[in-house]
Parts: sequence; structure tokens; C-alpha cells
Amino acid sequence: MCKGMEVKICLIGMGNVGTCFLQLLKEKQDNIRVNFNFNCKLVAIFEYDGALIDNDGIDLDNLLDDITNLRKNQYWISNVKAQDLISTLDIDICIETTPTNPNTGEPALTHIKEALNNKIDVISSNKAPFYLHYKKIQDLAEKMNCLVKFEATVASCVPAISIKKSLIGNTISRIRAILNGTNNYILSRMTTEGISFSVALKEAQELGYAETDPTLDISGYDAAGKLVILSNELLGWSKSIEDVKIKGITKITPHALELAKIDDYVIKHLAIAEENNLIVEPRLVKRDSLLNIQGTLNLIELQTKYAGSIILIGKGAGGFEAASAILNDLISIVKKRRGF
Amino acid sequence: MIYLEVKLPDIPGSLIELIKPISQNGGNIHGVLHHHDKKNNNLIPVDIWFELSEELIEVSLEKIKKGLIEKNIQLIKISVGSKNKMLTFILTGHVFDTDITNTIKRLDSKNIKVLELHAKFTEVDEISSVIMKVEFPEVMTKFELINEIEKICKEKNLFFMRS
Ligand SMILES: NC(=O)c1ccc[n+]([C@@H]2O[C@H](COP(=O)([O-])OP(=O)(O)OC[C@H]3O[C@@H](n4cnc5c(N)ncnc54)[C@H](OP(=O)(O)O)[C@@H]3O)[C@@H](O)[C@H]2O)c1
Repeated sequence: MCKGMEVKICLIGMGNVGTCFLQLLKEKQDNIRVNFNFNCKLVAIFEYDGALIDNDGIDLDNLLDDITNLRKNQYWISNVKAQDLISTLDIDICIETTPTNPNTGEPALTHIKEALNNKIDVISSNKAPFYLHYKKIQDLAEKMNCLVKFEATVASCVPAISIKKSLIGNTISRIRAILNGTNNYILSRMTTEGISFSVALKEAQELGYAETDPTLDISGYDAAGKLVILSNELLGWSKSIEDVKIKGITKITPHALELAKIDDYVIKHLAIAEENNLIVEPRLVKRDSLLNIQGTLNLIELQTKYAGSIILIGKGAGGFEAASAILNDLISIVKKRRGF
Repeated sequence: MIYLEVKLPDIPGSLIELIKPISQNGGNIHGVLHHHDKKNNNLIPVDIWFELSEELIEVSLEKIKKGLIEKNIQLIKISVGSKNKMLTFILTGHVFDTDITNTIKRLDSKNIKVLELHAKFTEVDEISSVIMKVEFPEVMTKFELINEIEKICKEKNLFFMRS
């Protein structure tokens, strides 16, 4: 796998993240060739209603000129599913960017398992398979001698997961994080403007920061899923989302935020992994705390045994942000396969 | 936080006499509680709690004690609480309808002292919020404290957010 100059990949789900990834790949192709000494050959793209498969490599320029070219291409096959065809492909890495069913992890879970069962390394931007079945996926990957990477699942391109390798000489004892930009935006606006939760939510929806159905965000479920992945990766735990005590932000009132100010507090929706417990809930945080970030930003604070606290802050969502995390994963898989 | 339990004569001006040596020696008073129900021989038990800056504690406490003795104020108990044993939290819901006094008493029965309380009132029947600062005993863990508060919140359907 990934031994030669050519690394063959397939993409499942060409939506926002998938398309951004292909654009980034096109843009960085020369750079990858020069710096990492490999070529990426895109062999297949799967969509919900069919697939484009070309063993000679899909022409990215033509495809990205006009995305509708996908289904017009001579190699487009309608009504086929990724899970039925993965085993027939000659590929090294499968990139999974379909939407998540939060309760089942499908269809991504099946795609990931199918790829691993066929000894194909996996990169995914899908959270659900990992917060639901982390251990099963890791065990399967180990059994099949495969690599699975999912940096984009937590805070997109902020290196929340890959920082682990920069801290191998240290011990991480606690994680405190702000993992949902929508909720942080809503709380920031409620704090500065004194507006109600519903007004702030509506504003977030109008600006595209919140989904039409924001339940997964405001209930805390989305942040809980990301916290599970982070704690499993960084603290070596083996948790799933049922292990998280979750409280959302819907009951926070402007009055509560005003009262918090009396004692110089603000309210932040924190995701905390500490002493074998996983908690997602609104917490009172001192106004001058580094956790008091504004807007849609994400933050991850790692309490370490030998270096105090280390904080990462950045944009937690966005097509190109997620795409660049995927490209990072891809390069690191290739490097690892080559023994670096 | 420093706790002082004294007995004061039930006459005007006696509270001022108690407060003077405390504030003159750098004490920042957080609360005073008169136990009128326990009045005996015209003496009322009074609890007062205040903060002293860490560096001044020893010297100032001695001066305060001396000041109280000079004023013939009957000192029952003085204790210094640990700064780590405090928690600030907000309760949101029908905080008043569900009897805030009962909430405070129930915390008190577990030796969790409410040091500060601020409230935001809304229309009757609508939800309100209070922020409380409590001090909990040395032997109690933060986890146990939170459990106690959460038990009350569950019963009274209050939303709990802590520091
Ligand atoms: N957007 C971000 O900022 C971001 C950041 C980090 C992680 N993520 C995660 O990345 C994943 C993709 O996000 P996205 O924003 O790119 O979503 P998206 O725009 O909805 O793209 C998903 C794509 O997958 C296709 N698809 C659906 N079912 C499929 C199936 N069974 N087989 C193959 N393709 C299928 C969809 O087709 P149709 O639309 O035609 O159904 C769509 O083209 C999600 O899990 C998301 O949580 C997103």
C-alpha cells in the first residue's frame, strides 16, 4: 500500500467537503509531488446515486470546471453503491465525506468497514462512526493492518487530534474545549447584546452558522460526539457517546448571563474530559479566562502534566478547513506507509 | 472566607460596633445573619462572614479578635475557610416558586453555606435566575457538593450551571 510514486484514492461523497478536497488536491498536486514524492490518482468518486470510476485517473481539471460533468462523464455508472464496489477497486486510500446519520453512523460506517475489510486505509470527515463505534473500527483496522485517520471530525483543520504526536513526551490529564461554533456564536451574541436564545439562534441561522434544524448543535450532542473522539485519541480512553453527560444551551437566559457578569463570569458551552468523566454543559468561566473566545471559533485546552495548559484555537468548520485536514491525513498516511 | 459567630446585645448600634474592627483591619464583609429566633438574655447570636487578603490573615485576625474583646463582644467561634472550597453557580427555573429559602436551608443542613446570592426577577410565573456563591466543608468533595445541588435541582426542576 502506498509504496510507489502513485497513491490511488477514491472519494465517497462529493458534497461541500468532498469538492473542496478535490480542489485542494488539484492546487497542491505539484507541491505534494515535490515535497512528498508521490502522485495522487483519483480512481473513483461515489455519490448517493452512482459512481464515476476511471482506473487511469479522473481528470480533475475537467471535473472541477463544472461539477455537473460528474454525471455526464462517459465512465459514470448510475445506481451503484460504494459498499458494493469498494472490493473491486485497486486503491490505497478511501476518503469518506458523506453526511452522518447521528444515531447509526451510516452510510459512512459501512463504507469504512468495507474499505478496511479490503485492506484499504481510510480517511473520514464523519464523526458518528467514531463516537458510536470507535473501538470496533480501531480493532478492525488493527486486524487488517490498516490506518484510519479522522482529523477533520474534530474542529476541522485545528490539529486537535494530530497534536498527540507532538506531545508524546508529555501526559495529557484533562481536556476542556469549545467544540461547537454554532453554540459559541449564540452564547457570544447573547452575552454581548443581551438578546434571548431564540433571537440569537435565528440570527445564527440567517448567517448560515446554524442549520435549519439545529437540534444536534444546541442539544450538545454534536460537541459530545467530538469530545468522545478527542478523549479516546488523546487520553487513550475507549468511550462512546452514551458515556457523555450532556446538557445543551437552550435553557440559558439573558438573566442568567447578566447574573454571571456580577461575579465577572461568562457562560460557555464546554466539553470536558476529566477523571474518566465526559461532560458537555454550560459552565461559568471567568471573563478573562482564555476559554472566553468569541464567535464561531473552536478551542481545545489540553492540561498537561509537564507543561501546564496548551491551547489550540481556530475555525471549527468550513469546506476547505475540513479538506485541508483530510489532505494532512492523506500525506501522513503515505509517509507512515513509507516508514517515516 | 472567615466566619465569626458572636452574641450581640439587642440594642441599636451594636452591629456597627461589631463591624468596625473587621473593616478597620481590612475585612471585606460578605454577609451577616441575625438568629433572632435564638435570642436569649437579650443577646442575639449573629454570624458574620468576611474576606481577608491571604497575606494579612494572621495579623488582621489577631487585631480583629482584640478589637472585639475590647468592645466586650462575646465571641463564640472564629473559623477560616479554604478558598478552594467555594463554588459559584446559577439556578434557572421557578427558583422562587419552589421556595428559595428551603433550597438554602437544605444546603445549610449539609453544611454548605450560601455566602452570596443575587437574583433576577421576572414576571410572577415566569422563570427566574439566581447566582449563588457557596462554601462547602473541608471533608466534602466538589463531586459530592455538586451531587447535593443537582439532587435539589432535579426535584425542583431547576437548571444548574456552575463555575
Ligand atoms: N462542512 C463542514 O464544514 C464539515 C467540517 C468537518 C466535517 N464535516 C463532515 O463531513 C461530512 C460531509 O460534509 P459536507 O458538508 O460535505 O456535506 P454535504 O455537502 O451534504 O456532502 C455530502 C455528499 O455526500 C453525498 N452522499 C449522500 N449519501 C451518499 C452515499 N450513500 N454514498 C455516496 N455519497 C453520498 C451527498 O449527496 P446528496 O447531497 O446529493 O445527497 C453529498 O454530495 C459530514 O459528515 C460532515 O459532518 C463537515
